[in-house]
Amino acid sequence: MLTEQSAYTNRWRQISPVAKGLVSLFGMVAAFAAGSPRAALLVAIILSLATVLGAGIPPARYLRVATPALFFLLASCLSLLVSLEFNHISTFGVSLHLSESELPRITQVCCRSLACLTALLFLALTTPLTDIISLMRRCKLPETLLDLMTLSYRTLFVLSEAVHETATAQSARLGYATFKLSMRSLGGLVANLAVQVWQRSQALHLSASARGNDGALRFLEPDYPGSHRAILSAVICGILLVVTAVYIP
Amino acid sequence: MHIMEGFLPVKHAIGWSVAAAPFVIYGLYTINKRIKEKPEQRMLLGVAAAFTFVLSALKMPSVTGSCSHPTGTGLGAILFGPAAMAPIGAVVLLFQAILLAHGGLTTLGANVISMAVVGPFAAAAIFRAAKAVKVPFAFSIFLAASCADLLTYITTSAQLAFAFPDPAGGFAASFTKFASVFALTQIPLAISEGLLTVVVINALVRFNSPELQEMKVIAVQEVQA
Repeated sequence: MLTEQSAYTNRWRQISPVAKGLVSLFGMVAAFAAGSPRAALLVAIILSLATVLGAGIPPARYLRVATPALFFLLASCLSLLVSLEFNHISTFGVSLHLSESELPRITQVCCRSLACLTALLFLALTTPLTDIISLMRRCKLPETLLDLMTLSYRTLFVLSEAVHETATAQSARLGYATFKLSMRSLGGLVANLAVQVWQRSQALHLSASARGNDGALRFLEPDYPGSHRAILSAVICGILLVVTAVYIP
Repeated sequence: MHIMEGFLPVKHAIGWSVAAAPFVIYGLYTINKRIKEKPEQRMLLGVAAAFTFVLSALKMPSVTGSCSHPTGTGLGAILFGPAAMAPIGAVVLLFQAILLAHGGLTTLGANVISMAVVGPFAAAAIFRAAKAVKVPFAFSIFLAASCADLLTYITTSAQLAFAFPDPAGGFAASFTKFASVFALTQIPLAISEGLLTVVVINALVRFNSPELQEMKVIAVQEVQA
């Protein structure tokens, strides 16, 4: 996963996740507080520049991560733009037309969504998920939920490798040649994977019990030097961002 | 169907998150209870969340030829129980937001309601109802999985229509608009996912009935039948 690669290798890897989380949070607040589409766009530009120039994420990779979401945003906004009207004189009793009066509101929604997306990408591309989980632990989320996340994050890559290998083996045997065959192969793949859920969790339980684990899964959290300073500057930058968003006409 | 990050107005984003929280908390409560009864299930649901995530990234052959991704809500509800799917779904949606930039943090609550609450509970209810009226086993699985998909997308359409009512026709017009736009992709997807879930459960019944019985998916006589 591209976000994972960046999250572990970016320039801001050693900065406290609290600071990065705060910037992202303030980014989202700014996106919602923005008074005009222009202000929201400015927030989006600032946050994406911070991610690309500050954290040193290659622009091409940033775009590749953002593209699917941008297409999704485009589709969502286009569907907002079209308006249906019932009982109109037309062939189907329903007429389609562009809602021009709604245009300002739709622009606002689109720009807000874009700004929120850049805030999300800021966090996703600079902070590994393990750090985000420990951030949530500090926010006192339920232990069971955190265990669920820790476990599934660690098993994710094991399972996706299993999927990749099975799919390669199946397609080498023309398993995906026709619709019927691909349904069959995919069904077999998922069934196999479902059994692995059972077997792997048993094995995990056994190995954890053998090491005396009978409660929450805790891991050592890395120390981040100078985290107080980072958090303070994150708060200042965040507040400046919100203020800019509110006061830009 | 995910709602995009930042797409819902503040009130809706907060409202849906508040609405989703009790389901997630209740799910966690049932998980805790299960773990207390059967400590060997402690790792199961964590791995199940990873399974659901990987499943949602698979490309599924669609009836219309376009490619789509299964949601796995129906299969998950049948395999792991609908209550446990709320926290599992919440984790999967969070991972999708952070790892794939799909969905979002502000819209997490709304997405949890549609994909991790409505879908799984509908699937489990339909599966049970179909079993009660003695519908053939494979068909009841198909119904459960495809209806879960359809209801998920109808919920999403309703959420969007609620947030963005049509200036002329209000909620109803807006709902019709979103539902018909999504129907193009979602109905073929629901059919494919229904078929896929049947193939999966059949394969599991044939080769791994002990595990299924342990998961309490199906009664013993069905496996033998």
